[in-house]
Amino acid sequence: MSEQQGKRKVSRRKFLVRGGLGTIGLLTLGTYVFRNPLRRMGFAAAETLIPPYSGTGTEINLWFEITEANKVILHSPKVEMGQGTFTSLAQIVADELDVDMEQVEVKAAATETGIVDGMSTGGSLSIASLWMPLREMAATLREMIKTEAAAKLQRNVADLNTSAGMVSGGGQSLSYAEVAAGVQEWNVPDTPPLRPTKDYKFIGRPIKRVDLAPKVFGDPIFGMDAEMPDMLHACIIRPEHVGAKFKSADTRKAESMPGVVKVVQLDDWVGVIAESISQALAAKRTIKVEWDIPKQWTEADIRELLQVGKGNKMITQKVGQALEAEAEDVVSMEFTSPIGAHAQIEPNGAVALVKDGRATVILSTQVIGVTQRQVSEALDLPLEKVNIIPTYLGGGFGRRLNTSHAIQAAQMSRAVGRPVKYFFTRKEEFQNDTFRPPTHHIMRGKLTAAGRLEGLEHHYASGDVAINSVIVPQALHSILGTDIGAMRGANLYYDKVPNHRAVQWHTTLPFATSWWRSLGLLANIFAVESFVDEMAIRAGKDPVQFRLDHISEEGFGPRIRAVIAKAGERYRDGVVRGRAMGFAASIDGGSPAAHVVEVSIEDEEIKVHKVLCVFDCGVAVNPDQVRAQCEGSIVMGMSGAMHEKMTLKDGQLYPTIYGPYDMALMRNTPKEVEVVLIEGADTPFPVGEPPMGPIGAAVGNAVRRLTGKRLTELPLR
Amino acid sequence: MKIAFTINGQAQSVDIADGNTPLLWVVRDILHLKGTKYGCGKAACGACTLHVDGEAIRSCSYAVKFAAGKDVTTIEGLGTRENPHPVQQAWMEYVVPQCGYCQPGFIMATAALLEKNPNPTDEDIDNNIVNVCRCATYVRMRKAIHRAAELKQSTSPTTNQ
Amino acid sequence: MKSSRLLFILPPFLFATILLAANMNSTENPSDDPTSNTHPTESDENFDKMMAVLTHQRCINCHPSDNIPKQGEDSHPHYFGMARGAGNMGFEAINCNACHQSENNDYSGVPGAPEWSLAPESMKWEGLSRTEIAESMLDRARNGGRSPHEVLERLTEHALVLWAWAPGIGASGKPREAPPVPVDEYIEAVKAWFEAGAIIPAE
Repeated sequence: MSEQQGKRKVSRRKFLVRGGLGTIGLLTLGTYVFRNPLRRMGFAAAETLIPPYSGTGTEINLWFEITEANKVILHSPKVEMGQGTFTSLAQIVADELDVDMEQVEVKAAATETGIVDGMSTGGSLSIASLWMPLREMAATLREMIKTEAAAKLQRNVADLNTSAGMVSGGGQSLSYAEVAAGVQEWNVPDTPPLRPTKDYKFIGRPIKRVDLAPKVFGDPIFGMDAEMPDMLHACIIRPEHVGAKFKSADTRKAESMPGVVKVVQLDDWVGVIAESISQALAAKRTIKVEWDIPKQWTEADIRELLQVGKGNKMITQKVGQALEAEAEDVVSMEFTSPIGAHAQIEPNGAVALVKDGRATVILSTQVIGVTQRQVSEALDLPLEKVNIIPTYLGGGFGRRLNTSHAIQAAQMSRAVGRPVKYFFTRKEEFQNDTFRPPTHHIMRGKLTAAGRLEGLEHHYASGDVAINSVIVPQALHSILGTDIGAMRGANLYYDKVPNHRAVQWHTTLPFATSWWRSLGLLANIFAVESFVDEMAIRAGKDPVQFRLDHISEEGFGPRIRAVIAKAGERYRDGVVRGRAMGFAASIDGGSPAAHVVEVSIEDEEIKVHKVLCVFDCGVAVNPDQVRAQCEGSIVMGMSGAMHEKMTLKDGQLYPTIYGPYDMALMRNTPKEVEVVLIEGADTPFPVGEPPMGPIGAAVGNAVRRLTGKRLTELPLR
Repeated sequence: MKIAFTINGQAQSVDIADGNTPLLWVVRDILHLKGTKYGCGKAACGACTLHVDGEAIRSCSYAVKFAAGKDVTTIEGLGTRENPHPVQQAWMEYVVPQCGYCQPGFIMATAALLEKNPNPTDEDIDNNIVNVCRCATYVRMRKAIHRAAELKQSTSPTTNQ
Repeated sequence: MKSSRLLFILPPFLFATILLAANMNSTENPSDDPTSNTHPTESDENFDKMMAVLTHQRCINCHPSDNIPKQGEDSHPHYFGMARGAGNMGFEAINCNACHQSENNDYSGVPGAPEWSLAPESMKWEGLSRTEIAESMLDRARNGGRSPHEVLERLTEHALVLWAWAPGIGASGKPREAPPVPVDEYIEAVKAWFEAGAIIPAE
């Protein structure tokens, strides 16, 4: 893959000067699109391929600005939601543009001012997909500056050097800002050769996050912090019951409440717009809404719907023969995972102004382009009249891959002709989430007399993850015939098992389910790695060696084997002083991870004392932030696997608040979390989700050794 | 009603119809200090933690009328880039934040803890720091809290709020 | 065993009864006052009413036997690992008053009343029988050194106790359940029971 990427160049285009904002700016025209089309290599490729970065925009789009203070502003097509992307992008720019870290500022591009990613910020792909294009563009810009400087200094380009935002040669030097001043039109040279990774000063170093100070001093950087002059505050009534349809609302009392400017009834929702948010919330409490609730969904209904053997069947992996399910020597086990909530701390919301045929929406979103289209369609405004301005996100985790609530903020603003800020209450977040779907798994396996796996099967049922998502073209699902999100981690990487397969059963549930950090990975790997561990026990084999025995040296095999072997060095079977270890591994998006956990049971609760995570994401642009993502994935994964659960009761999803929605807190966090990074590839691979894969199974496997009991349900208890 | 209090060392007076309005919204929407966050509005997540007379308070559940005559400190008044509070200093040393949204609440809760318990044990930290961080930055947070305790003991008290 | 204990606590209560009669019934005709009747069955009825309140979750939730405050109608352990801590107020940086103020908060659904805290360790009522609770309540060694009159005042006048009848709305916006006896009836019953000698019926 890297060789192919190496041949790609930024096509020769004009860079223009941006004026009027007091900065000396550079604009690029058009977008950067990989020459190679997305290859479709079956399901295996869909799972591991890094999709090309493809920007949107048909107008002049801004990538870089050089300011009078000789700083470079990168208008990032990807948003920062905690994953550290802005820092890594700044490192990439600094290295190829020859500026210092302090000279780079990263801003999320708005649809009006820059290129926004046409799909999303998600899939742990920001760095992996921008690695090549951003370095090429930065290097190209450096050459442009040198070319221009050569003219100004009357020297040959070859005699000039760049460093820390200065071009120098023959005893003279100019800052980039001085070079750019007054330039009306730039000629773009061919992209120069990129530097070898080892020569980079910033890439590969644990540079501190560029957003550290704003986040430690409480700067107003989030969507929830946005304000516009003369802004009003609003809230919306959303249904509590699954599948409830709006019938009517009595808003008379609310209309006369203090501070209420307008109560809006549109389509199937009611919005209260007031001078202050507490006035809006107080008025909201007086509104009675009649809902049509066709069915009081229960947990049992969902479990009945969602089962292996029901829904849309698709074999997502098939090697050799199927096992005979009823045969005596076939071991079969069932696993389940519950509905999960995103529970990101910053609620969804938006600040919108719709006036004079234009819409401006400021919000935390992972889908800037999609939101622009949604607002444009809903308000019947031309696309270019809708400007979506993304902010820092107070958590993404996949929840902000659908931010259609921007529409309601815009509609309310249009109704009052003033800016309106609107956000979800926490209860609305919990009851109107795009949940992680519950899953059901049947694992089957067969051992040979020598204790080798002869057959291994993973049958998995899931609700929507990618299917019905606004960011995935429905055509793709017709082509693939499967939910590629639910598939994450479902296919088996034990390729030396002569007969192995994965079979998906997909069902669309009566409530929205969608992307949740790592998609199907957490539940799928829980089932697969718990079962493989159980088979190792039945075979009387060491669980680390048992895994290695079934993974070839083909494809990703060597990298998976490397993390398993490395983590395996620290694994010990058996119970020591009331503690046992558990082992599990996974590969997601080409990034393998292996976990060793140390667990005890205290007051009937599973306590995780230590976690070792060995992880290979290829080039770690910022190793410290890769570690941070591993730590976060592990503890959030523990939260998902050991604590969290949404339940349907009397037609409503519960709980609706933190606390009852049990999540890992400080006291549940292991005192020791160690991350070991292996650089098994020369390009960056996904980071934000893959290390979450093994954690549930690793804990379950430790409990199995401690108690003899195999836990088959998430959350583990 | 008029409610007067001190915020981040400055006298402040707000005129508000409903004295039961949560202090959170007064701080955020009237005084335009956005560092104190709304997370749940139910005093469950801790994102809205600030100090009232030195006590950690969850401001989404604190009627502004109770602030009358009191001394309120928000993240904006805890420390500055030039003179960070030891907790902020430690947070930067350990690069704690990820998305960052919950961090001011954690920092304020930790600052309050260290005022009363200058050298908290792991158990003290587990008991006292019960805010919610969805990015799960707890691993680094624990290290940073211990580090902040060290920094605080080695710096003069005048650098604190 | 029960009766022998009663011998120790009866004398002060006879005294209390006299005081109460003087203080509280001055405007009423004693003969018309049903609570002045010390007939055991009526005393039992007063006791029943009082205990129906004191064993209700609004009261018991903050009189835990395991140092962990309880919440809700199902008396589940307080979320986020809240516990007694020093001074019955939780932990240094997350004490009761971090969330609970002197009034209920309708915006957050967090309950509040003056002196919101856990009852002291000596007043562990959770899991006790009605008789045991009554004994604990009257025992100076366990009731904070209160005289019977002070206990009576506490039970009938203190804002934290009376909060049980105005417990506000919960986090979900639904009203909390009040004790099963109306507040006036409860106060009458408590007073009558004390006047009648605070006799704890046998279990």
